[in-house]
Amino acid sequence: MSSAAAGHRDKQALFDHAPCGLAVTGEDGTFRIVNSTFCEWLGYDDSALVDRLRIQDLLSMGGRIFHQTHWAPLLQMQGSIAELKLDLLHRDGRFLPMIVNIVRRRVDAVVQHELAVFVAEDRHRYERELLAARKRAEELLRKEREAQQALAAAQVALDLQRVTAEDRAMFAEQMVGIVSHDLRNPVAAIQLGAVLVGQGELSARQRRGLDSIVSSAGRCQGLIEDLLDFTQARIGRGLSVKPQPFDLHESIARAVESLQGLFPGRRLVHVARGAGACVADEDRLAQLLGNLVSNAMTYGDPGEPVTVTTAGGPDTIELAVHNHGQPIAPDVLPTLFEAMTRGQPDDDPQAAASGHSVGLGLFIVREIARAHRGEVRVESAAETGTRFTVVLPRHAG
Amino acid sequence: MDVRKRNHVKVQGSKPTAIVFAHGFGCDQNMWRFLVPHFSDRYTTVAFDLVGSGQSDLQAYDYAKYDNLQGYADDLLEIIDAVCSGPVIFVGHSVSAMIGLLAGIKAPDRFESHVMIGPSPCYINDGDYVGGFSRADIDGLLDTMESNYLGWSSNMAPAIMGAPERPELGIELTNSFCRTDPEIAKHFARTTFLSDNRSDLPNLLAPTLVIQCSDDLIAPRSVGDYMQRVLPRGTLRVIENIGHCPHLSSPGACVDAIDEFLRTPGA
Repeated sequence: MSSAAAGHRDKQALFDHAPCGLAVTGEDGTFRIVNSTFCEWLGYDDSALVDRLRIQDLLSMGGRIFHQTHWAPLLQMQGSIAELKLDLLHRDGRFLPMIVNIVRRRVDAVVQHELAVFVAEDRHRYERELLAARKRAEELLRKEREAQQALAAAQVALDLQRVTAEDRAMFAEQMVGIVSHDLRNPVAAIQLGAVLVGQGELSARQRRGLDSIVSSAGRCQGLIEDLLDFTQARIGRGLSVKPQPFDLHESIARAVESLQGLFPGRRLVHVARGAGACVADEDRLAQLLGNLVSNAMTYGDPGEPVTVTTAGGPDTIELAVHNHGQPIAPDVLPTLFEAMTRGQPDDDPQAAASGHSVGLGLFIVREIARAHRGEVRVESAAETGTRFTVVLPRHAG
Repeated sequence: MDVRKRNHVKVQGSKPTAIVFAHGFGCDQNMWRFLVPHFSDRYTTVAFDLVGSGQSDLQAYDYAKYDNLQGYADDLLEIIDAVCSGPVIFVGHSVSAMIGLLAGIKAPDRFESHVMIGPSPCYINDGDYVGGFSRADIDGLLDTMESNYLGWSSNMAPAIMGAPERPELGIELTNSFCRTDPEIAKHFARTTFLSDNRSDLPNLLAPTLVIQCSDDLIAPRSVGDYMQRVLPRGTLRVIENIGHCPHLSSPGACVDAIDEFLRTPGA
C-alpha cells in the first residue's frame, strides 16, 4: 500500500472516530454525512440520519425557533458560528447538551454546513449551578434591599416617636417647674402660720403636732427648691450662682454644725486643710453640702462617722463628703449624677425612710459644681467606703 | 431623549422618499445588509435597532412599555418623525411587520405602503386559524430561553477559522451582530410570540406586500394565506426559500418582489 493511500485511510479513520461528532448538512439542514462519534452520541444509525432527518428534527421547538431566528441568519451573515450551545435530541428521547461549531461552505456551487459537536454535560451542569447561584444572589439582594427599606422606615417611625417623647418630657418638666413655683407660697404660708401658732399657749400634744407641721413644711420647702433647681438646670440656662468672697472652712464648719442637728445620734466630722479663702456662692455650697451629707447619712453605715473635708489647693478648693458602708453598684456609677438616679435599689428601706426620694440631690450637686466651672467625682469601694469630691476654682466669679 | 441614539438609527442618502427597515426578533439592523444597497440609489434608506436589540440603548428598555408591540410602534413613529419628511415605505421583518401594522393604523398619513417579510399576526393555533405553534410550543421556547440562558446570551462569534464565504466581514463587526441581553431577549420573546394582532389587520388601509417563504417554521403558508384574505389591500408573494430570513438567504428574490410591488400603481 502506498503511503498516500495509508494517509488517506488514516484521515478517513480520524474523521469517522474523531473525539467529536462531525456532520455535514445541506443548507436546509438535511444530514449528508455523519461520523460514527456523532451517531453513537445521539443513538442513531448512519442510515437513519443521512437524507432522512434534518438537524432541526433533533431540536426542541424552542431550539428550532432559536435556530430560525438566531443562528441560521447569523450563519448566513458570518459564514460560521463558534461555541453555539444547543440541546440535541437523543434517539431515546432525552436531550444532550452540546457545544457546536458550524461553518457554511460552498462546494461545487452548493452550500453546505459543516458541524463539529461536543457533548457538554459538565459545562451544562456548571452553567445551571451558576444560574441557580445567580438567582439565589438576586433573591438575597432583593431581601437585603427590603430589609434596608424596612429599617429606614422603622428609623423614621422611631425618630417621630423620639420627637414626641421629647416634647412630652419637656412639657412634663415645665409642669414640674410651674407646680413647684406655685407651691412655694402656700408652703410659706403654712410655715408662717405655724410660727404664729407656736407663739401662743399650747398643750404638749399640740406642741408635738405643731413640730411635725414645721418639720414637714421644711421638707416640702426643700423638695420644692430641689425641683425648681432641677427645672432651671434642665430647661433654663443652668443654675444661677452669685459668687462672693468668703472663707470656705468657716462657712462649711457652720453648715456642718447646723446639719448635725438634723441627724441626732449620727457622727458628722469636719476636717479643714489649706487656705479657705475663696470666691463662690456660699448658699449654693451649703445646699450642695446638705445634699451630699443627706446622701451619706441615708446610705452610709449608721455606726460609722460621716466626714466632711474642706481643702485649699494652689488654685482650687475642695469639698469632700465620705461615708463607710455598702459601695455604690458599679452599673449605677455612669448615670449617678443624672436626675432620677439613685445609688441603691428603689426598695431600699433606708432611702424610703429618708423621705428624700425624688432623686434630684446628686443632679443638683453636679449642676452647682458646673455653675462654678468645677466638677464632682465619686469613688466607691467596699473597703474604703464612698467619697464624693467637689473641686472648684478658688475664684469662681 | 435622542431617538437616533436610542434606536441606533442609520440614515443613508437624501432622496425624496424613504424606505424604513425594521428587523425581527433575534437579530438587528445588520440583517438588511444585502437588501439596502438595492434601494439606496432611488430612496433614502433608514435602518434601526429595536430597543433591547443590537446597539440600541439598553438603558431605555422599559419592561412595561415593551410588554406589548404598541410600545415598539410608538418608537417607530418617533423615528419616522425624527428623520423622514414625507410618508415612508416601511419594510418590516417578522414581528416588526406587526409593529409597522400598529404604527400604520395609528398614523396612516406617515406610511405610503408596507412590505411585510415573513409576518405572522398570531403564532399560536386558534380554532381554524393555524399559526404553526401550540401554546405548549411557545411555553417550551420560553423554558428553553430560561434553561439555556448562556446559550442565548452567547454572542455566537464566527468560528476561529474565519468566514470563508464572507471575507469582507471583519471580526469586529461580526462580533457585534445580534448581540442580545438574555433577560431582554426573554421578555421580547414573550411579547412577540404571545402577540395576537389578527383583529388589527382589517384596519390597515395602505397597500401591503406580504413576502412569504415556501418553507418557514416561524410563519407557515397558512399564515400568509390568512393575511392576504384579511388585509384590505394585501398582496401575497411566496418565494422559494427555506427558513425565516429570505432577505439574507434569497435577497435577490426579495428585491424583485419589492420592486414589482413598488412599480404597481397605487402601491
